Amino acid sequence: MDKNGIIEMVKDYRIAIYLILTIASVIIIFPHPTPTGIETNLQFGLDLDGGSWLQLEYQAIVVKYKSEMTIDKFIPALKEKIEGEVLQVDEDTLEIRKGLSEEEIRNIFSDLDTTLISYTPGVTKETANDIKRIMENKINSLGTQDAKVYVITGLNGISRYVRIEMAGVSMGQAKELVGKQGKFETRFHTTGNDTVHVFFGDSIQSVANPSQTPPNSDNWGVSFVVTPDAAENLRQIAISSGAVRKPEGHNLDMILDDEVVFSAPLSPDLAAELQTKATTNLLASTGYGIEGQEQAKLLEIHLRNGALPVEVKVAGSGAVSADLGEQFKFWCVITGICALIAVGISVLVRYHEPAIVLPMVLINASEVIILLAITSFFLQLDLATIAGLIAVLGTGIDQLVILTDEILFEGKVPSPNLYVKRLKRALGIIVASAATVFIAMLPLALMDLSTLRGFAIVTILGVLVGVIVTRPAYGRIIMAILSK
Amino acid sequence: MEFFNHYIRTSSPLKLCIIPLILLIVSLVSLGLTTLETGLPVYPGMEFQGGFGVSIITKDTPDQIISSFQEYPLVKVEEGINNGKYLKFGPMNDAMVLALTKKIEGTYTDAKIDQIGSSFGRTLQDQAGFAILISFIGMAIVVFLIFRTIVPSAAVVISAFADMAMTAAAMNLLGIQLSLGTTAALLMLIGYSVDSDILLTSRVLKRKGTFDEKVSGAFRTGIIMTTTTFGAIFAMWLVSWIGGIEIIHAISQVLLIGLLFDVMNTWLTNVGILKWYVNEGKGSLQAKHRGGV
Repeated sequence: MDKNGIIEMVKDYRIAIYLILTIASVIIIFPHPTPTGIETNLQFGLDLDGGSWLQLEYQAIVVKYKSEMTIDKFIPALKEKIEGEVLQVDEDTLEIRKGLSEEEIRNIFSDLDTTLISYTPGVTKETANDIKRIMENKINSLGTQDAKVYVITGLNGISRYVRIEMAGVSMGQAKELVGKQGKFETRFHTTGNDTVHVFFGDSIQSVANPSQTPPNSDNWGVSFVVTPDAAENLRQIAISSGAVRKPEGHNLDMILDDEVVFSAPLSPDLAAELQTKATTNLLASTGYGIEGQEQAKLLEIHLRNGALPVEVKVAGSGAVSADLGEQFKFWCVITGICALIAVGISVLVRYHEPAIVLPMVLINASEVIILLAITSFFLQLDLATIAGLIAVLGTGIDQLVILTDEILFEGKVPSPNLYVKRLKRALGIIVASAATVFIAMLPLALMDLSTLRGFAIVTILGVLVGVIVTRPAYGRIIMAILSK
Repeated sequence: MEFFNHYIRTSSPLKLCIIPLILLIVSLVSLGLTTLETGLPVYPGMEFQGGFGVSIITKDTPDQIISSFQEYPLVKVEEGINNGKYLKFGPMNDAMVLALTKKIEGTYTDAKIDQIGSSFGRTLQDQAGFAILISFIGMAIVVFLIFRTIVPSAAVVISAFADMAMTAAAMNLLGIQLSLGTTAALLMLIGYSVDSDILLTSRVLKRKGTFDEKVSGAFRTGIIMTTTTFGAIFAMWLVSWIGGIEIIHAISQVLLIGLLFDVMNTWLTNVGILKWYVNEGKGSLQAKHRGGV
């Protein structure tokens, strides 16, 4: 092909779009050498970067019911019977924050002259989002590099699971962080080693972020608000034990799962205030400097931990060590290259013509590059996604073969008119098979079957990029080559 | 290739379909039996059944591993390549799971741990089954919309179904378990298998020429498509085996089996039905102006 021919070709909008997109993709991926190896802008999932995931199941149910009792009588009665929290969602829907089986709740309901209409394990979207916020706070303030919390909501708007992904954290650590919900209690030292219960975690209404009092003093602490009942209880105990007059020796302990996480006497200010009235606003001081700040962060989590509205249970978990992830990355690159070579060899055997094979393989490779660039915006590459990329390579080359064979029909070089007709026919077949792949993968892309989502999304994107960009461009290139 | 063209030309539609038909029946019976035994047509892997699995790379022998995990319910140790080992544990309580996790993380630097609770496994199972069902129905609708004639569309759908059923039966035979990865591969097969079927059907319904010419033209294109894809997936299978990437290996294994069955189902099943349709069915007069492609 001469120089003019090439210029002519690049001016064709199909080729131009293809070239621009490919170059833009390389820029977006931005491979550049660093002292530790080659870095890119690609986002990797846990199985390539190392880290852990936890999938937690809420111990709660959402039910629809029909009751003979009035709401204001029914809900308190129900609360008492199940010994748990009940939240009214709408007129005939309740969120029951206890992991009851369908059988159990049906029996309880029938005792209360109520019929169970529908039963779904999980919580409402609102509760799920609250939990997500608390979890994010809890994990991220512990200095984990990169924790992501995903609320998984079913088509009916009820969330049954929450998934937490933490890069660079082992599964043991991850589970200690979030897997269990602690039991939080405060106890007050009366005389000697004797303590008395003050309030549980559920009395804590809100928790502020760690702060310095007074501002910029480097004296760290966490302020929190308790219920009026808890505040009154604290006042009574402080008075009866004599702590309001002599705070020393009467520490307030905060206990999480039988472990004392914070212990301090009442401040003179607070002691004085409690002599006259109860206060719901409390501040736990943790000390000065970096250590004080770290302590405050931990305490904040513990205080919040008591406030997680629904109990959770580990439904599934997994971890990949960073070393293994590194190896997987290496082998994935090798796999991709080998697949491309295999494709090149098979088409060379069939067409014996490097002028056809080279553009085919290049188009195929650039398709993967474009896909990688697109995924870097919103998808983490994991092993399943990479398998999807290679599968796309397979369908992609199939369609290039269909194009080539349609145009090369009976080995004749077509006239421009005939060429357009054949190209259209080939694109018809390609669009048809692309449509079926698209439909076949759509359910997986919409559902939340953990790792398979990426696989499906990549396959669908691959089909779209192929039909919209690379196949038309290839059709133009192959014509230029054949009419040479 | 010549032999194949000759075979298609001289065989009656029934003769073309008989081998795939027998295989399909055998496959369906085998899937049925597995369903009676396990509740699923293919033996479920850990992801669908629940359990605790660990992949590690170690030079320790299985006996050494068994003795070092004595206090845990280690069910079996599988050996892979490159010193890869796969450990499967029975049910444990949360505290035990945590202790085991810490022990593994402390002992092996390149471990991959997966734990799935049984109720979560069931949720995944239900969703995966639902996904396959919806995908298949969606594909069938698209195919009918494309060709707008009953018999050729049904031929494509039947071939795709036969492909999946035979591949699933082969998975049971070869001991490949149903996991999230292999479910994805089965779904991908829908795409791969209709590729060549659509090519064949379009050529036969749309082009001028004799049936045999059109089929042999489609065959030349179709077989190169399948061998090229096979080449790419084979590379994926081989390298993932060497690199010990279990999920990619499982996906490529299922795709390879599926592609082999696809050759049979496209060029025997689908061709057979089309041949009947064009020669004896009502398609001979309509074929030239029907079809959306």
